[in-house]
Amino acid sequence: VRIDALLDTTSAQALHFAWLSLALEPASEYGDRVYAGIQPFAPGEEAAAQARAALVSGVAESLDAARLDAVRDALRGSPDAAGAIARASMGDVLADAHLFELQRFCDAIVRVDALLDGVPGIDKISNEAVAITARALESGRTGKFAFYLADSFDGVLAASRTRLSRAQAELDAARGRTAQRIGSILNRDDLSSDEFILMRAEIDGDLPAGVRVLREAPTYYLCALEFDEAALAALERRDAAANDVASAEEGVRGELSAVVRSHAAQLDRAAQHLGEIDVLIAAARFAQLHRCRVADIVTEPVLTFSQGRYLPLEAELELQGRAFTPIDVELHDVAVLTGPNMGGKSVCLRTCGFVALCVAFGLPVPAESARAGLFDEIAWLGIGGEDEELGGLLSSFAKEVVRLRDVLERNAPRLFVLIDEFARTTTPHEGKALLVALIARLRERGARGMVATHLSGVAREANARHFAVRGLRGIPARPATGDLQEALAALAASMDYTIGEIKGEEGSGADAIALAGLLGLDEDLIAGAHRALRR
Amino acid sequence: MRVGKAIFELARAAGARSLFVVGIGKNVGKTVTMRAVYEAASETGARVGLTSIGRDGEAVDAGDAQPKPRLFLRPETVIATARGVLPASPASEILALSRLQTAAGEVVFARVLGSAFYELVGPPTASGIRETVDLLETLGDVTIVDGAIDRVAALAGGDDAIVVACGASAANTMQEAVDGVAALVSRLRVAAYDPALPALHLDGALTPTRAAALIAQHEERQVVVRDPTQIALTGKGAARALETLRIRCVRPLRVIAATVASIGRERTFEPRTFLKAVAEATGLPVFDVYAGTHAA
Repeated sequence: VRIDALLDTTSAQALHFAWLSLALEPASEYGDRVYAGIQPFAPGEEAAAQARAALVSGVAESLDAARLDAVRDALRGSPDAAGAIARASMGDVLADAHLFELQRFCDAIVRVDALLDGVPGIDKISNEAVAITARALESGRTGKFAFYLADSFDGVLAASRTRLSRAQAELDAARGRTAQRIGSILNRDDLSSDEFILMRAEIDGDLPAGVRVLREAPTYYLCALEFDEAALAALERRDAAANDVASAEEGVRGELSAVVRSHAAQLDRAAQHLGEIDVLIAAARFAQLHRCRVADIVTEPVLTFSQGRYLPLEAELELQGRAFTPIDVELHDVAVLTGPNMGGKSVCLRTCGFVALCVAFGLPVPAESARAGLFDEIAWLGIGGEDEELGGLLSSFAKEVVRLRDVLERNAPRLFVLIDEFARTTTPHEGKALLVALIARLRERGARGMVATHLSGVAREANARHFAVRGLRGIPARPATGDLQEALAALAASMDYTIGEIKGEEGSGADAIALAGLLGLDEDLIAGAHRALRR
Repeated sequence: MRVGKAIFELARAAGARSLFVVGIGKNVGKTVTMRAVYEAASETGARVGLTSIGRDGEAVDAGDAQPKPRLFLRPETVIATARGVLPASPASEILALSRLQTAAGEVVFARVLGSAFYELVGPPTASGIRETVDLLETLGDVTIVDGAIDRVAALAGGDDAIVVACGASAANTMQEAVDGVAALVSRLRVAAYDPALPALHLDGALTPTRAAALIAQHEERQVVVRDPTQIALTGKGAARALETLRIRCVRPLRVIAATVASIGRERTFEPRTFLKAVAEATGLPVFDVYAGTHAA
């Protein structure tokens, strides 16, 4: 998947694009090729994005999970025949492994077509070339999946193999007689292999005729059996018969390769189509597995959704037996988000970015409903967005500033920006001033997005809409065991992660001291912090 | 005596479905041993699967252009080898293709349907070999692998058996060859640990430095490694550590025999003396595939 224009590396990392990419991974190499060329939809392509999301959703609704998995199994088990088709089209004679791949390719198409029969919006993959190729190869089918250049392909091949089999038996018999004769003289029953040792002390007189000495050592000879006249004649006949078989086999391969060559273009189209189906099925499985819905993809640069979920975190929470709290967001400008520590501000930003990403790739979104536009760039700034390439010479603040500069200089016509506690490492007074100015700049440019901060008064001074995480319903007691996981579970139970719009006064504080106590800082230190706060 | 038959029967008696032939160096008779066991197994009517770690059965050594023992295979043998070395003729039945890569292309599983010389090029990694052997076991009755000592980890904990091949090519003197194979066999035959007794589980290999530290501390607990390939000790250091420490492993290996090749490219050893010395040093049944002799 190509994301270079939509997401830079840092933003991709912050939004866990790798997770999404893995979740959408196709099952076959045909799909891999198509997937590698996929690009996000750009502004102006809303209708195409909408159609794609509707198709993915339609497939997800038409097929149950078992059927989707069966299609993926059929695709996964199909070796890649693209190389074989390309070789045949260039005039190469295909090897048996290529013919095996082609047979499995045809089998996979038949299987996938059967599994997807009647699904709205999906055309049959099979075409005339696939049918002709499958028929041509059918004589080679052995067992369920194996392939052999069988005698039934050609009468000449069958006859030459019969001659070879006879000639090999004659050679084996001739060599066997030699081994038996010499073995009986030497009292050895193991002279079937090429080389053997004879101890000098055990030989009475000369070595028997037919034994060739390869090397002499003080106490033994390294020997081999010679070919006598009868064996040499049998060897000659065997080699001639083997040459005939090789020639007949190559003739059959040549004929089969010619069939593939003359239908290469149509076979290529079928391979491409198979890859597109693979990518579609992977997307449908993603949509079904994560209960995604088709967003209303509009021409305006907005992002609104209800009950949205950030899937990478939801999956992580599920592993721990916890549930993600879905959130509602309505963005048609640059808004400010505040809330307590660990209240989910960053997750809210990431949910927005993730939903926008799904829309950009024409995917159903992880929300109950959504209305969204397409963006030229989705950018992440702040926590989790530090660019490693900038190295250790820059401070945290400097790195953030350089990233902001880069995003602004790229000047994407439609920018969706997610800013997580920008300027948190400088003085609150100047940090706030920077944020207010940044929001003003982003609005001038028509950007959309959300700015999460602990600095109070930013929304009021920037005249921006203000959302807040609803936060703690009460401060949970510190667990008696001091166990961190227990503390986190208590915190999660007390936290209301939903988002609401604030009118008038700014939201309450960050609950930082209470959280520090819950997370295990000693009681004296916490009491000191409370005293300092009161002063 | 029929050495191949004797080794095959030892493997069967041990209940092994796969036999790994590993050598203490190059040109120590691995392929000759494999061929002897293969021929004996084929004669019983067993469907034999063959593969290699690295390259085997080629006419000349790719390293020094010297002639190598070749593999003449009979119909119904199943092989796992690289696509690039599977002969076009006689045609083989293609059973499966894998995505395991070798220097000569992906590994293909094929049934031999015409007698001919074949070259085996198998996957170079322990996990690749494990995957290959597992599939070969579903396609045949017995699997023989021409192995490499540093990939034996693939066998740890499995039902496989190991034959160690040693020869004159791998050492300057007979004593050096005997010491080398004895140390290797001691290492590979490290016993499974006893969970009921105190144990120090090592994360990673038992290196000379680590072993020296444990000896200096008079460590009395079982020193447990994952499998015998994690004992990274050789020569006298290995012998001392194995004598002094109670080295054990989680997944033991089963070494059932050794073979000797007294003929090397640069030197030869007296066959009977070499055979007897290896048998005494390892405590294993030892076979000379070339001379058709045995010592225990």
